[in-house]
Amino acid sequence: MPKPIRVFVKYVDAVNRVVGHFAMYLIFLLIGVLFYSTISKTFFDPSLWTLEMAQFGMAAYYLLGGGYSMQTDSHVRMDLLYGRWSKRTQATVDAVTILFLIFYIGLLLFGGISSTQYALQYGEESYSAWAPKMAPIKIVMCIGIMLMLLQVLATFFRNLAEALGKPIE
Amino acid sequence: MSYELIAILMFSTMMLMLLTGQRVFGAIGFVAVIFALFLWGDGGAEMAFSASMKLMKWYPLLTLPLFIYMGYMLSESGIADDLYRMFHVWMGSLHGGLAIGTIGLMVAISAMNGLSVAGMAIGATIALPELLRRGYDKIMVTGVIQAGSSLGILVPPSVVLVLYGMIARQPIGQLWLAGVFPGLMMAALFILYIVVRCRLQPKLGPPLAKEERQVSWAVKFRLLQAGILPLLIFFFMTGLFLMGITSLVESSAVGAVSATLAALLRRRLTRRVIHDTVRKTLGVSCMFMWIILAALAFGAVFDGLGAVRAIENFFVGRLGLGPWEILIMMQLSYILMGMFLDDTAMLVIVAPLYVPLVGALGFDLVWYGVLYTITCQIAYMTPPFGYNLFLMRAMAPPEISLGDIYRSIIPFVLVMVFGLGLVTAFPEIALWLPNLHYGR
Amino acid sequence: AAFPAPYVKAQSQIKWRLQTYAGAALAEHVIKPSIDAFNKVANGQMVIELYYADQLVPTGELFRAMQRGTIDAVQSDDDSIAAPVDVSVFGGYFPFGTRYSLDVPVLFNQYGLKEIWEEAYGEVENVTWLSAGAWDPCHFNTVEPIRSLEDLKGKRVFTFPTAGKFLSRFGVVPVTLPWEDIEVAVQTGELDGIAWSGITEDYTVGWADVTNYFLTNNISGAWCGSYFANSERWNELPDHLKELFRLCMDSSHYYRQHWYWGGEAHLRTQGTKLELTSIPEEEWKTVEDEALKFWDEIAAQSPRSAKVVKILKEYNAVMKKAGPPYRYS
Ligand code: NA
Ligand code: NA
Repeated sequence: MPKPIRVFVKYVDAVNRVVGHFAMYLIFLLIGVLFYSTISKTFFDPSLWTLEMAQFGMAAYYLLGGGYSMQTDSHVRMDLLYGRWSKRTQATVDAVTILFLIFYIGLLLFGGISSTQYALQYGEESYSAWAPKMAPIKIVMCIGIMLMLLQVLATFFRNLAEALGKPIE
Repeated sequence: MSYELIAILMFSTMMLMLLTGQRVFGAIGFVAVIFALFLWGDGGAEMAFSASMKLMKWYPLLTLPLFIYMGYMLSESGIADDLYRMFHVWMGSLHGGLAIGTIGLMVAISAMNGLSVAGMAIGATIALPELLRRGYDKIMVTGVIQAGSSLGILVPPSVVLVLYGMIARQPIGQLWLAGVFPGLMMAALFILYIVVRCRLQPKLGPPLAKEERQVSWAVKFRLLQAGILPLLIFFFMTGLFLMGITSLVESSAVGAVSATLAALLRRRLTRRVIHDTVRKTLGVSCMFMWIILAALAFGAVFDGLGAVRAIENFFVGRLGLGPWEILIMMQLSYILMGMFLDDTAMLVIVAPLYVPLVGALGFDLVWYGVLYTITCQIAYMTPPFGYNLFLMRAMAPPEISLGDIYRSIIPFVLVMVFGLGLVTAFPEIALWLPNLHYGR
Repeated sequence: AAFPAPYVKAQSQIKWRLQTYAGAALAEHVIKPSIDAFNKVANGQMVIELYYADQLVPTGELFRAMQRGTIDAVQSDDDSIAAPVDVSVFGGYFPFGTRYSLDVPVLFNQYGLKEIWEEAYGEVENVTWLSAGAWDPCHFNTVEPIRSLEDLKGKRVFTFPTAGKFLSRFGVVPVTLPWEDIEVAVQTGELDGIAWSGITEDYTVGWADVTNYFLTNNISGAWCGSYFANSERWNELPDHLKELFRLCMDSSHYYRQHWYWGGEAHLRTQGTKLELTSIPEEEWKTVEDEALKFWDEIAAQSPRSAKVVKILKEYNAVMKKAGPPYRYS
């Protein structure tokens, strides 16, 4: 693979590793918010922001963690046929079919950006009494999807290199 | 394009994409966006992201990462080791006793967690090595762990029953209680199978060596204390929820905190343990969430293109079947689809198509939730696609081959199909407890 | 639910996707009959496919989806879909803004709200506001009884954003969830109750099965909800289909007038699932007084909001002065 591509793969891996580690620990935000909700409801008055906050946390969690989960190959495949192929064949097929994945993530990002633009343009607020602005969480979601897209591209280059018999690293 | 044609095209393209071995979420998501792009008209390109907002608002999904976290934390906390030792000593003298003990362990784990991930992690790391070391047949024990851990979604708490409840609009408390006896019955059937099998082929499950068996009664009773902590966790999580003190998502946070405290109490909560737990939790959560995200988009596109109507027409109009025939057809189609389709995606895509029909046919939707969950359990472990298979492959020691894993589940699947038949024929097995508790 | 419209292969057929705020059980009354009628009369030239709450697009994204054409038309109150206009706070339940369902059409047709709404939505790209209608007073139905303002404290309640902001002054904790999830959310303990509708809706959609009490004091006499369409799709329609759609909206407004009006009285007197409770009038007066302060705060948000508040005040003064049957106190 040409050097720029190898550098690209290396940096994408590095960025997603860092963001992934951040996302991992967001689980404590989820636990914390919901546990706080339990305590405050049982002993004091319930808060009106906990459930929605936890939902934002969840969206950030799996979207920001997406790129890293891709990197660590955490996603299931149906390997009825795939499992029987050689590594090289797998990489060759992956290099083609991952284009479909790129297409999907690309459209996901397109929708995300379009929705974020709307949120910014109209100062969109959540339709709740707490009414937080929607732009921040949507921006976070877009960043997560963007990182996923980059990682999928990096994976594509890896598959391609492997298919050509010259794996990266 | 007719609705029927759209339905057929969408499903067959998805099957084809899945067969290529590309990641499941990618296959499903791609089909969703490509059909939306070409057939929806204006704004179809927004459907993929729109699903992410839907997912965000689907509050019961908050329990998913928390239950996964809890499962891994439990397996690290050492609670399972004590429990395993308890079952080990009490059951070890029987032929196949350790396998029976493992089922017991799995029931206990199932009562503390809402997914099968916890059982798989604990089974593969704690029980499996011990069983192999003592000369148990590797194919049988691999099956025991997969089948046993699948009880995680039937014995309360259960994430699958929560998601089903949201789709079917049935009370989660009743659904969870409805899972109790079918879960215990299923465990009993597994044990029965192990006993009979080891009676016929004693070398599959040799009893413990004499010196391992010689444990005083005092020690034996002391070991029972291992059950206290799990009971407490069960009470804090499921008990408080059923009593109406904690809400559903709060109860999963209480569970996560309890598991962490248990690890702390037993001085197992090191930085490494925390890091490993959150790392594995992120991996499995992302696997589920990205599939659900894609499946929600697929479902909405399928619906918006009118294909849902084709399914309704097919079952109700075209086939001209009676209620029971339709029900059995649906169960069969689940098991068939469950072989090839991802089980979570199936819940999100197929359940919304079937459940209203089942209700309209006059069946009890709480009872059907249990049937549905058992079907999911079967789908979890039937090749070529199933989460337990996938997790088993990732966690099993190298001497267990893919072929072993595939072969191991056959008898257990047969036992589960038998169990499914029993609950279908005798709905009281599921409904007696919720009827008693809620006076339905 | 099955859709009655047959699939017709004709290329020229116009097809709309309309998503309502209502779940299937409620939509059965508040919109489906009129859409069925529309499809029948349109005779294959146009078909409206009706989708329910959150079915294709989550409620939070609904306005945006309509603007982009993902959804062609929407039935909802402005408040629930967070419509990006200042007057959206007056959709849904503006606290004590109305008493009877006829108040809404009068305000729109005789007091100038129609022009104000047209102006407000005229500033939003590619969405056309079509018509507002009303039904349904706003009451609490809860698991635990409410007999005093004190009982409101700490109750987690599903309600409208603006009503929620107002009610939080009395210690209510408003929670927003997808409409279809409400029944289960009461059972999973995420909610202690609902302040979303009158008793007719509680019985129709199953909420009466999961709660025990109905508070007779109301927060607003009539829901104010609208029909909207993607402007391009609306403008493309031939005149006779536009006119047919207007008739169809009116028929849906009319159906609700009698369905709710009759239902409220019938179920309060004959219903067996909910026990009625009340907060004493003098205590409830504090809530009404607080509402007037809330009105002034809203009026301060924009000149157009101030105009609406002024109209509401004038209208209510006229009604009061007119005496029975308009107002009895
Ligand atoms: Na469980
Ligand atoms: Na399967």
